[in-house]
Amino acid sequence: MKRTFLGEFEEVVLLVIAGCTEEAYGVTIWERLQQQTGRSITMSAVHATLYRLEEKGYLASELGGATAERGGRRKRFFALTATGSKALLEIQEMRANLWQDIPAGKLQVIIK
Amino acid sequence: MMTDNNLPQPPRWPDRLLEWFLSPDLKEDVQGDLHEFYHKRLTQVNIRQANKDYWWAVLHYLTPFFFNNQSANYSQSISLSPVMIRNYLKIAWRNLMLRKAYTTINILGLAIGIASCLLIVLFVQHELSYDKYHTKANRTYRMVIEGMLAGKKIQTAFASAPAAPALMREIPGVETATRMDSRGTFIVKKGNESFKEERIVFADSNFFDVFSIPLLKGNPKTILKEPKTLVITESIAEKYFGNTDPIGKTLTFGEKDVYRITGLCKDVPSNTHFHYDMFASIHGEQLGEKWLSSGALTYAVLREGYTLEKLNATMPALIEKYLGPEIHEFIGISLADFKKRGDKIEFVFQPVTDIHLKSHLDGEIEANSDSKYVYIFSAIALFILLIACINFMNLSTAGSANRAKEVGIRKVLGSVQGQLIGQFLSESVLVTFMALAVALVIVAMALPYFNQLSGKAFEVSVLVKGMMLPAILLACLFIGLLAGSYPAFFLSAFKPVSVLKGKINAGFKSSWLRSTLVTIQFVVSIGMIIGTIVVYRQLNFIQNKKVGFDKDQVLVLHDTYILGKQLTTFKNEIKQLSQVANATMAGYIPAGASNNGADGFEVVNGSDQPVTYRDKTYSIDDDYLPTLGIKLVAGRNFSKDVKSDTAAVLINEAAAKEFGFKNPIGQQLRTLGTGEPDSKRIFTVIGVVRDFHFESIHNRIAPLVMYYGADTYQMAIRVRTSDIPDFLEVLERKWKAQTNNPFSYSFLNDRFNKTYQSEQRTGQLFSIFATLNIIISCLGLFGLAMFTAQQRTKEIGVRKVLGASVMSVVVLLSKDFVKLIFIAILIVTPIAWYAMSEWLEDFAYRVEISWWIFAVAGLLAIAVALLTVSFQSIKAALMNPIKSLRSE
Repeated sequence: MKRTFLGEFEEVVLLVIAGCTEEAYGVTIWERLQQQTGRSITMSAVHATLYRLEEKGYLASELGGATAERGGRRKRFFALTATGSKALLEIQEMRANLWQDIPAGKLQVIIK
Repeated sequence: MMTDNNLPQPPRWPDRLLEWFLSPDLKEDVQGDLHEFYHKRLTQVNIRQANKDYWWAVLHYLTPFFFNNQSANYSQSISLSPVMIRNYLKIAWRNLMLRKAYTTINILGLAIGIASCLLIVLFVQHELSYDKYHTKANRTYRMVIEGMLAGKKIQTAFASAPAAPALMREIPGVETATRMDSRGTFIVKKGNESFKEERIVFADSNFFDVFSIPLLKGNPKTILKEPKTLVITESIAEKYFGNTDPIGKTLTFGEKDVYRITGLCKDVPSNTHFHYDMFASIHGEQLGEKWLSSGALTYAVLREGYTLEKLNATMPALIEKYLGPEIHEFIGISLADFKKRGDKIEFVFQPVTDIHLKSHLDGEIEANSDSKYVYIFSAIALFILLIACINFMNLSTAGSANRAKEVGIRKVLGSVQGQLIGQFLSESVLVTFMALAVALVIVAMALPYFNQLSGKAFEVSVLVKGMMLPAILLACLFIGLLAGSYPAFFLSAFKPVSVLKGKINAGFKSSWLRSTLVTIQFVVSIGMIIGTIVVYRQLNFIQNKKVGFDKDQVLVLHDTYILGKQLTTFKNEIKQLSQVANATMAGYIPAGASNNGADGFEVVNGSDQPVTYRDKTYSIDDDYLPTLGIKLVAGRNFSKDVKSDTAAVLINEAAAKEFGFKNPIGQQLRTLGTGEPDSKRIFTVIGVVRDFHFESIHNRIAPLVMYYGADTYQMAIRVRTSDIPDFLEVLERKWKAQTNNPFSYSFLNDRFNKTYQSEQRTGQLFSIFATLNIIISCLGLFGLAMFTAQQRTKEIGVRKVLGASVMSVVVLLSKDFVKLIFIAILIVTPIAWYAMSEWLEDFAYRVEISWWIFAVAGLLAIAVALLTVSFQSIKAALMNPIKSLRSE
């Protein structure tokens, strides 16, 4: 499988889905994203990213049952795929390695 | 739990936008999420802010990403992809092959419709193209005379001979003006050979400048300038000179006029209002010098930017200058007095492109057509096409019951309506193009007959010339889409659930539309039957009307004037023949080619201000009345023995009435002649002849004055034998003994019938297209009946088991159609009555439109329809009920 590059926003979205305890769909993901990042994000950006991730194989989705509150329209629930989980783990591992390489005391300087 | 009902809904417009923009597989969840978002916002902010936020959120979706991007395998545009179109065509083909009878009916009907339509389009296009090809056509006008003399209208196609030079001399806005003067038939000789030529004209040297007939040889600057020069067409060159170069050669007109050929031109295109073969120089020929007593066809080309209004404005001055003195000279009163007593004379300019369809004046070069017929035939073409399209729609919707299951299954398996529409449309377009192919074959085969009928000369190649082919293809595509649109939308809208449950008999229930369409078909068909009957009755009426002379058994011998002095001997010799009852010099004759004259008359009764009448005149000899069987009402015929008869005239009843004679015999008339004092002669009326139709029966019989004096142009012979071939042989021998000139003759009744050729043509075309119309309608009806019978197979089976007779079943299946035809009759009767009354208006003597015509047309339609339907219904009624009931 060809390696696809995962963008920062995409990574955050994947992490949010991974962190969801309930089934995750557009609105919940959007809300959690805003909470966690503190940024103002448009819904369309979330949707676009979700579909793109699905296309890349990091997410899988299925339609839920009919709902009463949204005019009977079904929700699309997203879940991580194995590829998605692996990609997240790889990123974390790479970051951890990178962190370890930082000489002690250097970080404070950068932060300041 | 929240419910939709008691919550405000998001604003509609952004929602619509979203629905339209989003690809279908995203639509549901994205829209759902947005709605949820909206409702959440509602709990936080007021409704206006929530609406605004919703708008804002929706607008963010308008990016290429959400537009049909992710869903290549589920988009609407798939229905137009090449793969799908190929599939549509394949399925369409299979469907058509599956139901061969239906397909044949459809294609045949449409093909006949398209073929007739194509033929009519050719005809109409040609009629409309007359004289449009001249490069200066839009600024070329023909100058004609419109006048009023003693309450009688004078309208002539020609103007005065001096008019054209005067226009060029005096009116700066006239670029050029040219004249044509036809002088009848000539015997043209080349060495010992001689031919009779009818299409000779004398023309001005600028003729080829005005009319764009390509000059192949000869100098356009100097051509026809010299007297006694001649330009001939290619076909005449071929006839006289074969392949040799005709330039510089000579031809002799009559006995001694030698013309030198200085030019060669292409044949005059068929869409021209004249078709001359030889153009001789008008210079040096005798043309009248008086405006009032001369005539030549006059055409003026205006300068670019000079309007017709400006030209018309100059006419009164021109008339004052040239006609004023002449009116004084001829009639003895001033132009002002002339106008005061209600008479007038004016020059009118008609666009050269209008002549063929709109001009019906005295002295037209050829009998012109009428824009009326262009309209009528265009309407017929549209009707035929309409009927063929209706057939198609009817058959498709009637067949819908058979296709309903297919539609249901397709929908269940995921077809969207767009795909089904594509499927049905491609089916109808396929049928149309197959019909087009058949139609082209039909046109190619029918073209010779059509040419004969319409008097045109089309070749098959006109169908592929220029814009014709793309236009035909486009029109066919359009017809296909149009005819297919109703069935396509109707069938594709079926609900799969009800279809599969078998609830759809809608195919037949929604038959009101189909009934309307069938009724329309029959309105048109019956209308055309009525039209045909009326046209034929009128033609029959004209042909059998007592014309006032006996047109049967009269032979007309042409060009007798060339016999010169021997003519009298020749005539007497012929009179001696046992097969001949009588013979007369008949230059003037009431049918076909004839000389014609007109003169001004005043009644001699001592009044100072006599009324001037302008009437037609004949010159006849003393044998004329007995030979043609024209009866005298009063007085006596001319006689050889009465010397004073050279100053005597016969008049017809109409003339006696016009002059106001109570007792016509012995009254005196003064002619105006050419205006010279000695040409004003006084004639005494010695007899009155019964009115006879010396002009077309379209018109009332006009006044006629007949002088004594034979016109030797042709000779009429009353034949007393039934062995015409033998008589002709004798006659030809006698003719050959006198001269080398061609022996040519015609029969008076043929000539008479030919005068009504245009009506006959209309009648024939009308009846043919009416028949076609009926055939197409019946094809449709046949198809419909087939479907009804199929659909009601079970019902008929049950009825028969329960004891229904064959007859009652046939009635059951036919009565619906008959009802429709009755409605059609009701609708069409007033329309047809009105239209045919309008048509008959043109005839001074006409048939009544009686009620039985409508009855006959209606009965005919019912009979034909019943015949068509009964074939199917009897078949259905005779079927063994076991067969229809067994299968379930």
